Amino acid sequence: MTENVDREIYSAARVRALESLLIEKGIITGETVDKVIEFFEKDMGPFNGARIVARAWVDPDFKERLLADTPSAIAEMSFPRGMAGAEGENMAAVANTPDVHNLIVCTMCSCYPWPVLGLPPYWFKDPTFRARAIREPRKVLKEFGLDVSESVEVKVWDTSAQIRWFVLPERPEGTEGWTEEQLATIITPESMQGAARVVVPA
Amino acid sequence: MQIKFEQFAAASMLGSADSPPRDNGEILFQRPWEGRAFGMAIALSKKGHYEWEDFRQGLIESIAEWESTHCKDDPDWDYYLRWLASLENLVLESSLVSEEELEERTRQMLVEANATLNQS
Repeated sequence: MTENVDREIYSAARVRALESLLIEKGIITGETVDKVIEFFEKDMGPFNGARIVARAWVDPDFKERLLADTPSAIAEMSFPRGMAGAEGENMAAVANTPDVHNLIVCTMCSCYPWPVLGLPPYWFKDPTFRARAIREPRKVLKEFGLDVSESVEVKVWDTSAQIRWFVLPERPEGTEGWTEEQLATIITPESMQGAARVVVPA
Repeated sequence: MQIKFEQFAAASMLGSADSPPRDNGEILFQRPWEGRAFGMAIALSKKGHYEWEDFRQGLIESIAEWESTHCKDDPDWDYYLRWLASLENLVLESSLVSEEELEERTRQMLVEANATLNQS
């Protein structure tokens, strides 16, 4: 245990030493590292997607615009630094309905709607997952714990460099009267991939 | 189409041995120094001090080296210790900082850390 504590103190000191030397030499500035971290924690991530979905749930006109022209609908939202240049310009949303369940996959590479979904889960790039999701999506969804009734059509969307799909999940019951902010807190990245439903926490 | 370097850098690691820990779509830093080391590695490459691919290969090698001497489920596994080792190597190799400077500054930081620790 002492060894681990020492190692922790040492690692933290080592990192501080590195950063302070780099700043002193003018190689980076005091804000450089903060900016990189901010990009991952504030600019691009599933919190953006959650806000878009929540808006669509409370505003039917916005939802219509989102499905018709996703990038321009997203441009209406005042995201901190916008979505331009972050592969956000070629995103397209597909809506789940009582009759259709959508699932997104990528059979080519790591194409992924980053600005709204954040970092892809480990299985997204797994070749077996991708192949099976196209061949037997219902079974794959079941393994994710999502039972899609036979009467519901499952559509699989292959995301690519041209179009990066994301799913507009259905609004769960029991959220009547909720504000956009409240709704955004329950929307998960998995639900926007079509791998889960949005549920109201017990 | 323009992709931000930060995004390119992180995307290149996903699905590979050097894939960083993440939680629900967000990058996961469990200790403050992890984020600093992460940010430094990306920033230095973005500024052209080394190729991102060189950092990645160093990290993959460092992970492989650890794995060759430990069991697969060794609880001591620590992704960001591997990250830090690779960052250090590359910073020294690129002559951004000398080994002596780094050792000396680390000693100073340790003295400071211990002083703070003893105060509390």
